[in-house]
Amino acid sequence: MSASKIERLVKMVNQISLNMSSNGSADFVAMQVSEHLEKFWSPPMKNLISEHIADDGIGLTPISLKAVTELAAVQRAK
Amino acid sequence: MLEFYEPQPDFGTPQSDSETLVTLTIDGISVTVPEGTSVMRAASEGGVKVPRLCATDSLKSFGSCRICLVEIEGRRGFPASCTTTVTDGMEVRTQSEEIGKLRRNVMELYISDHPLDCLTCPTNGDCELQDTAGEVGLRAVRYGFEGENHLIAEKDESNPYFTFDASKCIVCSRCVRACDEVQGTFALTIDGRGFGSKVSAGQAESFMDSDCVSCGACVDACPTATLTEKSIIEAGKPEHSVVTTCAYCGVGCSFKAEMKGNEVVRMTPYKDGKANEGHACVKGRFAFGYATHKDRITKPMIRESIDDPWREVSWDEAVTYTAERFKAIQAKYGRISIGAISSSRCTNEEVYLVQKMVRTGFGNNNIDTCARVCHSPTGFGLKTTLGESAGTQTFASVAKSDVVIVMGANPTEAHPVFASRLKRRLREGAKLIVIDPRQIALVSSPHVKADYHLPVRPGTNVTVLNALAHVIVNEGLQAHDYIAERCETADFEKWVQFIADERHSPEDTEQYSGVPAADLRAAARLYATGGNGAIFYGLGVTEHSQGSTAVMAIANLAMLTGNLGREGVGVNPLRGQNNVQGSCDMGSFPHELPGYRHISNIATRQLFEGEWGVTLDPEPGLRIPNMFDAAIDGDFKGLYCQGEDIAQSDPNTQHVEAALKAIECLVVQDIFLNETAKFAHVFLPGASFLEKDGTFTNAERRISRVRKTMPPLSGKADWEGTMALANALGCDMHYNHPSEIMDEIAKLTPTFSGVSYKKLDELGSIQWPCNDHTPAGTPIMHVDEFVRGKGFFAITEYVPTEERANRKFPLLLTTGRILSQYNVGAQTRRTSNSEWHTEDTLEIHPHDAEERGINHGDWVGIQSRVGQTVLHADVTSRVKPGVVYTTFHHPVSGANVITTDNSDWATNCPEYKVTAVQISKVTAPSSWQARQKSFDTQQLQLLEKARH
Repeated sequence: MSASKIERLVKMVNQISLNMSSNGSADFVAMQVSEHLEKFWSPPMKNLISEHIADDGIGLTPISLKAVTELAAVQRAK
Repeated sequence: MLEFYEPQPDFGTPQSDSETLVTLTIDGISVTVPEGTSVMRAASEGGVKVPRLCATDSLKSFGSCRICLVEIEGRRGFPASCTTTVTDGMEVRTQSEEIGKLRRNVMELYISDHPLDCLTCPTNGDCELQDTAGEVGLRAVRYGFEGENHLIAEKDESNPYFTFDASKCIVCSRCVRACDEVQGTFALTIDGRGFGSKVSAGQAESFMDSDCVSCGACVDACPTATLTEKSIIEAGKPEHSVVTTCAYCGVGCSFKAEMKGNEVVRMTPYKDGKANEGHACVKGRFAFGYATHKDRITKPMIRESIDDPWREVSWDEAVTYTAERFKAIQAKYGRISIGAISSSRCTNEEVYLVQKMVRTGFGNNNIDTCARVCHSPTGFGLKTTLGESAGTQTFASVAKSDVVIVMGANPTEAHPVFASRLKRRLREGAKLIVIDPRQIALVSSPHVKADYHLPVRPGTNVTVLNALAHVIVNEGLQAHDYIAERCETADFEKWVQFIADERHSPEDTEQYSGVPAADLRAAARLYATGGNGAIFYGLGVTEHSQGSTAVMAIANLAMLTGNLGREGVGVNPLRGQNNVQGSCDMGSFPHELPGYRHISNIATRQLFEGEWGVTLDPEPGLRIPNMFDAAIDGDFKGLYCQGEDIAQSDPNTQHVEAALKAIECLVVQDIFLNETAKFAHVFLPGASFLEKDGTFTNAERRISRVRKTMPPLSGKADWEGTMALANALGCDMHYNHPSEIMDEIAKLTPTFSGVSYKKLDELGSIQWPCNDHTPAGTPIMHVDEFVRGKGFFAITEYVPTEERANRKFPLLLTTGRILSQYNVGAQTRRTSNSEWHTEDTLEIHPHDAEERGINHGDWVGIQSRVGQTVLHADVTSRVKPGVVYTTFHHPVSGANVITTDNSDWATNCPEYKVTAVQISKVTAPSSWQARQKSFDTQQLQLLEKARH
């Protein structure tokens, strides 16, 4: 996995989380972030960021990590 | 709509909008017109033409020429019909022996100081003075021509597009009044008195040296050959005309393309065009010569590598070659390794076909459009809050506005015809709030002065919008009943908690935005309490890391004050290109099908699958920046780019160039070998807007016809090129005319279900939604309820951009456009518009310039975290200290070499408007500019080899 690729995606998720951070509780924001990723990201991007959980989600903020974990569950269920 | 050339109907004076009707008799004919109508107009509407010279229906009546005299029963003398308004029961005679004599006498005086060269005059046969002389029956001039006269007055030929021949001027003031009333520039005046009176540009300057913006309103208004287009002087009177739509900005002006054979000799703004109502700007009216410029490439070309010369081939060979290479790439790298970018400069039908080809022929959703880099946050923000990704009003609605906020937009430069409407309303007394880092012309110009200019620091828009809302909420100025009736209650209450917090107060946010708290409070009060409040915004709102947040904050403000759902109010994104709205409507984003329906929606997919006969990928595709990243990563190998110059227009040029170089098959369809095409392997020649049929949708959601005036120079309109490529890829597309594509769009898209070419021809234009509920379209949106049902107040937390100034990069660069040039300049640089703007310069405040030892005109290096370029310095206080500004109309300027990859959190719209930079004096171009020059030379040589 390319480091720059994953760093780029981590930065993007964190930016989304930060911008949604005041929308509600951490769980609510994580759910919204996860939905945003599901709705707007392409499958390779979703898969790559989901796989990043295996690396402890390095670089992801706690809300981002939760969001990506939820996204990964959705991806697995497909 | 092809018709013999005829001047457009002229009723003499403007229409009255009174609802009270008045009936009178004119020459025995009973006429009923609105109260306030002039006798002249009433006569015209009754089919009686009163001779006139100083009157035209785009201008207020003036009463100076004394040709339009009439007799009115019970009144003494001969009142001027242009300045006399109708009354009930009035009896008017427009012809009598005495009237005829008076008119002839007046006309005789005019003609005694006018050259009698009608046969060789450029407006012979199209001259109101000539017509009027005929109408009044002038047969001789008793005074002779030996006395003092103006017949040898000097011509002013300084303007590249029109001539001012003072010898033919009758000093009717129509040009001066057009400049004042229609355009709102006040560049012309009548200098001197009596016999010495003459039209003067500026302070007795040439037209080019004056404040004239070359909109052409004066030329249009001139009843003689005094102000005449040079194209008419050269080519003569047109013989037929075609009504079509301008291909420049998102105002979408309607024009009569006036023709001689297949040659456009004049573009005349169409009076019945609802976006422009007979007005135009220097681009739309005059800058059409690029369509036949020698740089046009009219034959398809292919090459193996970008170091090879181009080879001209047939259309068949080009599309077969492309299809084979795309198929080979997909076989090797996978289905999602190719994609396409469509353009807001192309028609609805063309962008619809490109996305259809991608979804059905490529078998993926890797389709994006240039709206990604301009108004994608508008789509996201307005859909989230109001339920529809579009502006809410007509442009004409601004005539009912009492308070106007212009934010991150520069209408006098980028949307000039709308700016003229706005300035007219401001002269009538409407209030203006400008939110912009620069002192744009609307802040202070003749007869226009902003009540408040909030000079926001780039990157902090959200703090200003939140602070405006904070003041309105905390001072109890919100529209309580409106909100209770029309908005989500729970979400509103949650938002109130958020916005009422002290961190959003003007006093607190001033530290970020630089906007004085007192001004901001006053502006908030004005917007909330000043009557109808309308917000117009541009890319200065969207092209930020919080572009989507700012759009939602704007929608919040409008809902908060009840300023949505009627005339005079609304949220109005000013779209940069002609068909930004349309390209978004047509499913050009990777996550949604036409009509803004998400690709994951099973019912929507099934609808399209049934029509298109394929199974659609349910997952979103790549956005433009994702495509670039994937190309550099080696995952994205084929790109079809129609009508867009991503190498010049997208941010971080060196990143884009690296991506383009990594692509194995880049196909560019354009009218010129643009910067992107220099990296291409296939070039498909594009067609200008004059060479094809179709529709554009402007910023008002107005769908207008684009009509072919001449055959496509390459033999194919763009939609035909796309169709050929799609079929070579195995699709089954068989359209005989773009009207059939629109029929398919209407069949599949609820908001377009009532749209057809037949209806467009009947109505002139249609604002979507147009369906069974609104068969004539929808001028104002969200009238009784929002499209989403209840309005949603989104939480809009301010998150500072990562692109911050520091000691190494202490200044913030922001970018914009100027009047004479359009976007990357591919069109306007190939016209005489370049006489106004030969190069992009860097605006820098005198304080910042002095600190760096920079003088006006010095070469300066602009260094950002990603690149460097070199421009001439323009030392000016239009920008505030700490902020620098440039335009991006010339490739060699490299404005986007400096801009970064930062983008909007929700849509990835690039953050063009904030780049931290350092400025220093230099003596040589940047290394990128040197490389660009060498690459450009090489590519032009490779093109020359194809042509010889």
